[in-house]
Amino acid sequence: MSVTHIDDKIKRVDAIEKARGEAKYLSDLKFDSMLYSRLIRSTIARGRIEEIKVPSLPEGYYFISAKDIPENGKNALKMIADDWRCFAEGDVKYVGETIGILVGSDRGVLDKLYNEFEVKYLEEAPVISIDDAINNNVEPLCGENNVMCSLVSDKGGDINDALSKASEIIEETIETGFQEHVHLETNGAVATIEDGKYVIYASAQCPFYIRKSICGLLGLNPEDIVVKQTVTGGAFGGKEHFPDVLAGPLLVAESIIKKPIQLSFDREEDMLYSVKRHPSKVVFRTGVDSDGNILGSDIKVYYNCGAYLSSSYVVLQRGVFHANGVYNFPCTRIEGYGMATNTFPSCAFRGFGAPQTIFAIETHLNHIARKFGLDPAIYKKKYFLKKGDETVTEGHIVEDVKLPEMMEQITSASDYFRKSAEYGYGSGKGIGISFYNHGGAFTGNGEQAIIKAKLKLVKKGDKFIVLCGQTEMGQGFRTALRKIVASTLEVGMDDVIFDAPNTDMVPDSGPTAASRSTMVVGNLGYRAALLMKEKMGEENAEVEVQYEHPDGHPWDQKTFKGDAYLGYGWGAACVEVEVDKLTNEVTVKGIWTSHDIGKPIDELIVHGQVNGGVMQSLGYAAMEKMENKNGHFKQSSMSDYVIPTSMDFPKQEYFFVDNPYPWGPYGAKGMGELVFNGTDAAYVDAVERALGIDCKKIPIPVEDIEGLRK
Amino acid sequence: MSMIEFRLNGKPVAFDGDPLKRLLDVLRDDFNITGTKEGCGEGECGACSVIKDGKLVTSCIIPIGAVGGSEIITIEGLRDTEQGKCLVESFAEGGAVQCGFCIPGMVLAAQALLMKNPHPTEADIRLAISGNICRCTGYDLIVESILLASKKGEGLW
Amino acid sequence: MVNETYIPSTLEEALKIRAEVHAKPLAGGSDLMVQYRRGTGVVPVFPFPVMIISGLKELKGIKKEEDGSVVIGALTTSAEIAECEDVPYFVRKAASLMGAISLRNSATIGGNLGNASPKGDLPQPLILLDARVILESTTSKREILVDDFIKGSKKTDLRDDEIITAVRIPEVKYTYGYYRKIGTRKANAISKLSMSALLTLEDGVIKDFRVASGAAGPKIARNKDNEAKLIGKKLEDINSLTQDIVKTHDETISPHAMATWRRNTTSRMLEYFLSEVSKGGEGRIIE
Repeated sequence: MSVTHIDDKIKRVDAIEKARGEAKYLSDLKFDSMLYSRLIRSTIARGRIEEIKVPSLPEGYYFISAKDIPENGKNALKMIADDWRCFAEGDVKYVGETIGILVGSDRGVLDKLYNEFEVKYLEEAPVISIDDAINNNVEPLCGENNVMCSLVSDKGGDINDALSKASEIIEETIETGFQEHVHLETNGAVATIEDGKYVIYASAQCPFYIRKSICGLLGLNPEDIVVKQTVTGGAFGGKEHFPDVLAGPLLVAESIIKKPIQLSFDREEDMLYSVKRHPSKVVFRTGVDSDGNILGSDIKVYYNCGAYLSSSYVVLQRGVFHANGVYNFPCTRIEGYGMATNTFPSCAFRGFGAPQTIFAIETHLNHIARKFGLDPAIYKKKYFLKKGDETVTEGHIVEDVKLPEMMEQITSASDYFRKSAEYGYGSGKGIGISFYNHGGAFTGNGEQAIIKAKLKLVKKGDKFIVLCGQTEMGQGFRTALRKIVASTLEVGMDDVIFDAPNTDMVPDSGPTAASRSTMVVGNLGYRAALLMKEKMGEENAEVEVQYEHPDGHPWDQKTFKGDAYLGYGWGAACVEVEVDKLTNEVTVKGIWTSHDIGKPIDELIVHGQVNGGVMQSLGYAAMEKMENKNGHFKQSSMSDYVIPTSMDFPKQEYFFVDNPYPWGPYGAKGMGELVFNGTDAAYVDAVERALGIDCKKIPIPVEDIEGLRK
Repeated sequence: MSMIEFRLNGKPVAFDGDPLKRLLDVLRDDFNITGTKEGCGEGECGACSVIKDGKLVTSCIIPIGAVGGSEIITIEGLRDTEQGKCLVESFAEGGAVQCGFCIPGMVLAAQALLMKNPHPTEADIRLAISGNICRCTGYDLIVESILLASKKGEGLW
Repeated sequence: MVNETYIPSTLEEALKIRAEVHAKPLAGGSDLMVQYRRGTGVVPVFPFPVMIISGLKELKGIKKEEDGSVVIGALTTSAEIAECEDVPYFVRKAASLMGAISLRNSATIGGNLGNASPKGDLPQPLILLDARVILESTTSKREILVDDFIKGSKKTDLRDDEIITAVRIPEVKYTYGYYRKIGTRKANAISKLSMSALLTLEDGVIKDFRVASGAAGPKIARNKDNEAKLIGKKLEDINSLTQDIVKTHDETISPHAMATWRRNTTSRMLEYFLSEVSKGGEGRIIE
């Protein structure tokens, strides 16, 4: 095996077994005398449970619910807060809330029993939309005003002073809808007992989250439970906290039944009864002078959090911290409100709150530019953040911002300025542009104060074993980390072993989320390999490294002041479209993106991440419509909630800029979420220009474009 | 009801059970071959694609009773053939695989295409895999990997 | 919960089972297997006896008859229809845009008609062409217009002893043709709206004009009285009649959801077709 270099083009380590169909995903695993299960869920959005009529259960069939939680246990899943109940008790707060879990050996019998369940409710008036929550016309779901969490960020003096000097205040509301992850593998987990310990096998991003979240149900400590990640068929945030909602009921059932139990959703369940991206409403009051120069922007951000907090407060923070986009306005004030509603709790989804506000600011600025007869690209460029500029959290941009160079790349490649001038507004053709960023890793000092990631590197003869909790879910980290460690050790990829984590075997290196894996844990791998190089002469050796916070990044988690992120990824996108004025069908003619991800660890992996992230963003804007009526999602299948096929968008052209990040391995920083954050806005800009319309809400399928046409 | 006899990956097999059982479940539960995945259960996503009598079909909507006398090829039957090895290798080399859940079906869609058209264009490939949904890759690298297979495997199809 | 299932090996056997126990024919499975599915690892349960007819050779294949009509066996798949040059443009095009390749390899014309979904792809062009469905039982054989066979959303005139055995598409000569399907996305899509139209010109006189809309109401919308307004007229008359024809066609459709877009788009497409036709020129498919 030759030595691996960081610049080598390599094959992903999991590609062959996956392509051969040999990789074992959760539902491919068979256990001796394994039982199956179904969740019994609330069918109403809000109300009291009056009676649960359990059908007569044949021998070997069980119905487990809140009553089965032992006395020393607590009916709560401990995510960031511990408000999300494992089993509804007394009342229900959303359609799909778990009431109990039905367990038995035959899936046909389970299906029959499932249909015989009858739960009687005393229904109460639900709060469904952000507007319902703001209007507060029924009994509030949370506090006095349905506000579940909130924060304020500002910079540059008093916003009212700034607005009072404006010649005009441009008011606008921009909205985004639910988005479903549609990881091709649905959610699934198995609970069992091995060597006297509870074991959860799960298709999941964060094995350590699961054991922390569910241990309290049985009054146990996290270490009393082992979580083993199975090959995970896509996640995108949908398997960050949500596996807890499967693992909790399974653990309680396991404590009673003591046989392997599988819970695997079919697609309809996964669509109707899983977390979604937070719908948003962003209200702008932006003061401009008579030439259109921005004096200040007063921004209110509302996210629909659903019935439980889950990760919403952190999602909202990220939304607020990204609400002024990549721009430096003289004065900005952002208020963020997480609204409680009786919908399925919203949770993590690639971008984690940033895409909503970035879409809003991009679209808002396009509208202002157009109003003043200016090209959006030129208009936005005036306000690009630069190194040393103050952020909305009174922190500073610490890196070179290469947006002007990135803009040049995509505008040249796409011939943007010629097309922008030539197509104008309403010609049926349009080209749009957007700029965006994404703060890498956990917000503020979260890495230092909360996560404290650890990684261990073990040498056994010629082999090096990496031990950490990071998961492979498709993004390529298993390959990337092996590559980082191998090239640092100057050995071959095959000499480095890095398997799916088992929480009993690996140290906690934090969740696989927040675009932190390569930037933070990759760097631990790099540092561990450097230490190991000193011990290459030893037959067996071991090193452990812990996260070290770079100096000079103050953060106050109480006031949200300081450097919210240790560094940002940056992006720019152009999208060109033609719209059929007969039918409103949009045909994308070209997609050009440029990203600053520090330095790519592997060309093929980052290429795949860019393509996939951009495509999800285009789907979000163009077609992915998930509606909720009275608490019920209307789209329940892959035929009515449509995501892009190979025919929907053309081949993408992509660029990177070289901007090595000092605290990342080989200069790399986070990218997984960045690539989602902006193409949606470029698409909408292009469609607006092609038809001469203003769009204030995504997605925009053909029927919704109709309402925008004059 | 009599046994349902068919050929699975080149071998004669028989199924004794409800003829309305989905071919997908028969493959996974009765024959214990799990390379064929269930993504949607309604013929929309292509993860459960198999080749039936030379044509790409989704095994989640086909009752086993409709399979009698047919020849079914799954990823397990394709992967060790020269064509299959070329496809698998090209998918790995071209960066087509991320989470991998759609990939066995995608490989079968590529195989069904190349059987009919050994020298496809990019547009031919995009059409041929348009029933196979992938949420990870944005398709570009899958398309390029299939082009790569058609070049590397010159003469195989 | 045990299914009553039959797998006949000849049409004769199938007709007999149909007559005796009224078993519902299951062809490609793309509609019925989805409708009655119960999840992973669980056999679908049908509330009626089923016969899997996919093996019936008598119902497969496409034949061109001496009178120019084309007879398509009920078990012919959309993929086969899309590839057959004997099949008229409108039907081939619709078949080629139905779902994804794998679905087109399973879904049959008989199933698409029997299911009678307003969003079904094939009924719309078949109704445009006055195609007839051939229905057989042990005691009878009849041919009725597809337009009469489909009575509404998921409702047909199929008797409980009959099987759809074929569809006959008469030869229709046309000078200008038009077909559009607007799906939920660019491929692998369910129809949100579809429309086809044709116009036949002989010696400068309009001999035939037809327009049919799909996914725009519980039934495929055609209005022969409206179509007749152009018969006997000349191309230069079209512009003055367009508004009236478009308005009447609009009244023929009855979309429930996305009504504004469906109505406006239908009107714009029909107006466009008539406007392109009024310019004359070589016979062609108007894109």
